[in-house]
Amino acid sequence: MQLETKMPDHLSGLPRPRTIVHPGTYGAVRMEHMQSYRGRHFRLSLPQGRSLYESIVEALAEVDVHNASMTLLDGDLDALSFCLARPDATGRTVAAYTAPEVVGSARFIFGNATLGKSPAGTPVIHCHAVFRTAAGDVRGGHVLTDKAIVGASPVRVVATSLDGFDLRISFDEETRMPLLRPQSEDQHV
Amino acid sequence: MSDIRMVESGQMGRVAYGRIAPNEDLVQSVEKLCMAQGFRNAFVRGALGSLTDACLAKSDGSCIVIRGPAAEIVSLAGEVRSQPDGSLQAALTGVVVDTDGHVYGGPFVAGANPVCVTFEVTLEEWLPEAHA
Repeated sequence: MQLETKMPDHLSGLPRPRTIVHPGTYGAVRMEHMQSYRGRHFRLSLPQGRSLYESIVEALAEVDVHNASMTLLDGDLDALSFCLARPDATGRTVAAYTAPEVVGSARFIFGNATLGKSPAGTPVIHCHAVFRTAAGDVRGGHVLTDKAIVGASPVRVVATSLDGFDLRISFDEETRMPLLRPQSEDQHV
Repeated sequence: MSDIRMVESGQMGRVAYGRIAPNEDLVQSVEKLCMAQGFRNAFVRGALGSLTDACLAKSDGSCIVIRGPAAEIVSLAGEVRSQPDGSLQAALTGVVVDTDGHVYGGPFVAGANPVCVTFEVTLEEWLPEAHA
């Protein structure tokens, strides 16, 4: 019996994944990771009239949480701006965020977010979410949490603290973009 | 009608955060993150990032492809389970947004969802109680 040795281009029914080439130097480390012995969990209810950013940062700082992974749950927004990731026409990066699209009021459906720190140490929230516009369209993208103002129905948050290490934005040589990365707490510059 | 069945009981353990680099496969990276952290079973507690193109399974065995770059992951839920042969297997399902902000959902096909720029994921270790 003869063995079939030729590798198929792709498995039946499945697309061949694309390997894209970023403009920078290929990084040797493909996965940066750290762990906490145990996560602390918190439920928040974010009040009307304040931004997602402001309320989350303030509430979590009160319980000494400065790095966290969060799930954001259903509520009303009186204002919302978001960006989409599209191919970068300048070629400087593979993909870049569009200019913010201002939606106005919307129903926040759900989202995921990470609380970390800027290079200067100020809190940052990276948030992707899905929402329904006033016209009834369900859309999603990168939500600007400082411009998302909670409406009549509060947005709820389930936060899991990431204690014992920091999430910091630093410049990534491979993608040439600033990205959140885990690092030990004593690595602050 | 079949009865409701309690599959397992246990408790949560350690929490791990990982940042996955471009061109790495989403599903297998979550499995490798578990391996790197010494987790045998885990739940995904939070995840966001971008894929070059997204590939979501349909029940007829085919898949939906959402072309990027980038297809953004806005939500992801799932678990990683150790298998009888000792390997680790992640089952991840989630919601993806295309370059126009349109929303798609379904299970991520292993080997067909390469990370575009970055993928952030938080895993919580699951420690099942031994069977009685």
